[in-house]
Amino acid sequence: MSVKDRFLGRMLDNRMGLKASVSSWAVRVPNNPERLAFILHRLTGILLVGFITLHIISTNTPARAGWEAWVEEVERLGGVNIVSLLFFIAMGALAFHSINGIRLLLVEFLALGIGRPEKPKPPYIPPSFKGFQRNLLYIAFALSIIVWIAMGYVIFLMG
Amino acid sequence: MAFDLKAATRRPPSPVRVFVKRYDPVSGRVWWQAYTIKTYKGMTVLDALLSIKSDVDHTLTFRYSCRMGVCGSCGVVVNGTPKLACQTQIAEAASPASPELRVEPLYNFKVVRDLTTDFTEFFEKHRFIRPHTIRSDLIEREKPTLEYSQSPGELSEYYQYSLCIMCGLCDSACPVYASDTSFLGPQALTQAYRYLADTRDEGWILRLKELDSDGSPFKCHFAASCSAVCPKSVDPAGAVQRLRSSLLKYKLRIYRKKKVSQVVPPMKEAKPIVPLPPEATLIEGVDIKKLEEEPPQIPVEKLLY
Ligand code: SF4
Ligand code: FES
Repeated sequence: MSVKDRFLGRMLDNRMGLKASVSSWAVRVPNNPERLAFILHRLTGILLVGFITLHIISTNTPARAGWEAWVEEVERLGGVNIVSLLFFIAMGALAFHSINGIRLLLVEFLALGIGRPEKPKPPYIPPSFKGFQRNLLYIAFALSIIVWIAMGYVIFLMG
Repeated sequence: MAFDLKAATRRPPSPVRVFVKRYDPVSGRVWWQAYTIKTYKGMTVLDALLSIKSDVDHTLTFRYSCRMGVCGSCGVVVNGTPKLACQTQIAEAASPASPELRVEPLYNFKVVRDLTTDFTEFFEKHRFIRPHTIRSDLIEREKPTLEYSQSPGELSEYYQYSLCIMCGLCDSACPVYASDTSFLGPQALTQAYRYLADTRDEGWILRLKELDSDGSPFKCHFAASCSAVCPKSVDPAGAVQRLRSSLLKYKLRIYRKKKVSQVVPPMKEAKPIVPLPPEATLIEGVDIKKLEEEPPQIPVEKLLY
């Protein structure tokens, strides 16, 4: 595409760059929890890449050092310590990323919950903000917090 | 963008400090400059910039044309939110607690000077999605006989998206557009959907093929900031989701254009005149037959005086 090549080397650019996709303060937009969800989705995605890498290394322990080392490692997950705390954070990221991911699949690929196009009338609230994807968003937030708390219970108190 | 009547009709604090992010292309210097201005009720950010330009600093550069939210040339970032300068009341942006305005050029655009931004890329991307109807009946295009038929329901499928004034606020708020130069941006994608949903358009295979090879619809992540900042309530976020689901259907080979409008055939003969109901009473001395044959001519002078 010619558009691409022509604008790659831009010097006096006012682009926000990656800042706009990882900081909710880069651009202030009122009435926009979707953007918060977008930023959280991206941050939890980055977290999960790190987590899955470490997870693969850690589940490789039996092959590397035998089953005794593996049992020892699993035991370290119980109670409150730095490993279980990190695990807890990763589980929160997993909960949000998966639940919000289901919402995004529904909205983005099936175009569900974004209302019908309409003639704009005061107070000019776009139909996609009035549709039920907003409710889905709040449900996703609430569900992931509940799941996170439940995981915290399992990790810290039952382990 | 949701409109807050209460905030917009308040009396703004006076005086107001206006901080403008300036850029000088000759020296390459970027700096914030502060101005203090007196405000009045109903003053917009554009009025404030104009009063600075006329009374304080004539080197301040910005772009505007219609002063009433129609042309889309005065987009700036006010206190971190992309807005039309002429449509933003100072009372909305500055409160008595913090009588300050921060005015910056639009994010994600090249700055030409001070608040003026370069829209070349924006218009190139708009052109890329072919912002016109594509038809196969070329003779009809060259020598149009009659209009294409379209029902009000079919019109309402795309009417909202055709209200775009190309102000660039949506691209300026988009977090994907901010980090990806190849992304077409909410404005262009909304227009792509607008022509896809138009029943008068026949080029849907071409459009979807091009969009598919470009990949832009799949780069959107539904942050929906575009819909939140759009001054014309165009709802780009909704349009892009619809475009993406159409494109997905096309990839699965189940996309069907609902209908393609054809030229309305000319009326064969005049429709019969609806007869008067039997209970209708006529004013005395009026001959209906005669009136139908020779409709009364009202002299123009009579209408004027
Ligand atoms: S969609 Fe709205 S914000 Fe974007 S260019 Fe058009 S009018 Fe401006
Ligand atoms: S000056 Fe035309 S939209 Fe603001």
